[in-house]
Amino acid sequence: MRWIRRLSAEVDETAEVLGGKAHGLVVLHRLGLPVPEAFVVTTEACRAFLRDGRLPHGLDEELATATGGFDVVSVRSGAPVSMPGMMNTVLNLELTSADDALSAVEAVFSSWNTPRARTYRELNDIPHELGTAAVVQRMVFGDRDEHSGTGVAFSRDPNTGANVPFGDVLFGHQGEAVVSGRSRTLPLPELADREPAVWAGLLDALSRVEAHYRDACYVEFTYESGELWLLQVRPGRFSGAAAVRVATDLADEGVLDRREALLRVSPHHLRHVRTPRIAPGEDVLARGLGACPGVATGRVATTADTAVRMAVEGPVVLVRPETSPHDMRGLAAATGILTARGGPASHAAVVARAMGKPAVVGVSGLALDEGTLITIDGTSGEVVLGSPRIVTTTADAHLHRLLGWADDVSGDRSPRADADRLSAAHAVLRG
Amino acid sequence: MSGPDLLVLHALRCVGTAGLTRLAATTGLTEPNVESELIDLAVAGLTTRDADFGVWSLTGAGRAADVKRITDELESAAARPAVTAAYDGFLVLNPELLDLCTAWQLRPADGVVIANDHRDPSYDARVLDRFADFHRRAAVVCAELSAALSRFGRYHVRLTEALDRTRAGKLEELADSTSSYHAIWAELHEDLLATLGIPR
Repeated sequence: MRWIRRLSAEVDETAEVLGGKAHGLVVLHRLGLPVPEAFVVTTEACRAFLRDGRLPHGLDEELATATGGFDVVSVRSGAPVSMPGMMNTVLNLELTSADDALSAVEAVFSSWNTPRARTYRELNDIPHELGTAAVVQRMVFGDRDEHSGTGVAFSRDPNTGANVPFGDVLFGHQGEAVVSGRSRTLPLPELADREPAVWAGLLDALSRVEAHYRDACYVEFTYESGELWLLQVRPGRFSGAAAVRVATDLADEGVLDRREALLRVSPHHLRHVRTPRIAPGEDVLARGLGACPGVATGRVATTADTAVRMAVEGPVVLVRPETSPHDMRGLAAATGILTARGGPASHAAVVARAMGKPAVVGVSGLALDEGTLITIDGTSGEVVLGSPRIVTTTADAHLHRLLGWADDVSGDRSPRADADRLSAAHAVLRG
Repeated sequence: MSGPDLLVLHALRCVGTAGLTRLAATTGLTEPNVESELIDLAVAGLTTRDADFGVWSLTGAGRAADVKRITDELESAAARPAVTAAYDGFLVLNPELLDLCTAWQLRPADGVVIANDHRDPSYDARVLDRFADFHRRAAVVCAELSAALSRFGRYHVRLTEALDRTRAGKLEELADSTSSYHAIWAELHEDLLATLGIPR
């Protein structure tokens, strides 16, 4: 077929043609891991669509052939470069006629050129002419029965870099419920007791994808009636202390040599490596997304007015569903901000960064009484009761060793800032 | 045409507790005129002043009065369909505005997101360029709104001024200050919810 590739271990085209998502699914196939049946409409078809203003000739027949045997599918965007949340996804699409798939693919392709997506590409140096692929995949149902569920998993802890699987699982739900943050998830290890066979399969998958990418990885998975399926894989893209620890550990494990390990860490990662953090091992009450780094401890105030009143007595953390202009006084009075809704680009996140206050957003389903003492970590998104131990780096020993290797490479052992030591090594390694 | 008393009353509903400077910017009235309106509204039991902070806010009765008067204004101008349509346009633009503000505060570098220290003029120029493009599209929504209800006309004026101040070198006027483009946009969001009676 000209515009469509059925995904299997034999596909050997690049992410430029297949898009990152389909390319990852091909990797999973090659590793012998379970992937629901899928095909991809290539970025080339999208480019033709963008150029001519209509889907390319012949795609309709190819789609009609490719969708034979599918009943319910998802149709997802997948650009060669990640553009999270910028484009359309169609879930639970029942294929009653060939036109259903055609219009879903057209919707995904059209979403490449929304003004918001264009702005995102301008700001991130992504060429407008790349186009996106569209992955059409048989739906698997995490809400099928009591032995079904869905989740996301990192092969290592993205907060610290520690070599333990990390993620969220939601029993009896479909995948979007996890990614959207609409439902309260459970820590990934809960899966071990409840579905030991799925857990064992997941651990095996994480170890195989790590060996392939030679890096910490992220997967999305669903299990249906006790059967594990992988829906997406990509490198973990850790930052700060976690990036330092993963690179150092991978060198110790013999996966990377020291030079590669040094190049894995950007000097930019070191800027926040000493930002205060909640110490590892504290009981985490809830987890959201870190929107402005730093740790804040204070009593919960649930309105701007009480925040202003209570702040006279001592530090407060303003806890709101989301924020509006009415909350500005409360935000100004608070030492930190916690919201139930929103992401890193929300009103609360923008204001928190403007004020330089630690912020955690998107913590759903958490009920906190006014006056309760809590601590929030704006790097990891963790929320802890009371005032836990705070550390200024979670990777002190790792950082020390990595910078030692950097000095070995540069030959310069004079006292300098961390980022300078790493930059000097990079300069030598990149010659 | 909303009277100055309604403008001041409604500004307090949209921005929450505020001082004279902020209310003057929001309404387009002078500070003495704002204060005079606030005092009359206080006599009527609709506003109250916090002496410790020198700021004003609505009373419960003031909020109820604004709900009624703003709804009456909307219905008597038969503006609900137009404002609702403009609000739909606003909701399409809103995530992009928040992306742009975030891009002004944080930037990608070697695959890492770092604080934008504004030392790279080419990056800032690129964000401002996209902001200008966004502003042209926001202007369409603002024009629809002010055609429906003239009191909405202030938003385009204020947003344009905030963008101009940023271009003139006041970098905090895009996303960070209480008079920033982002802050004005958030007020407009609140105003649309209040005008249409949509709960948060």
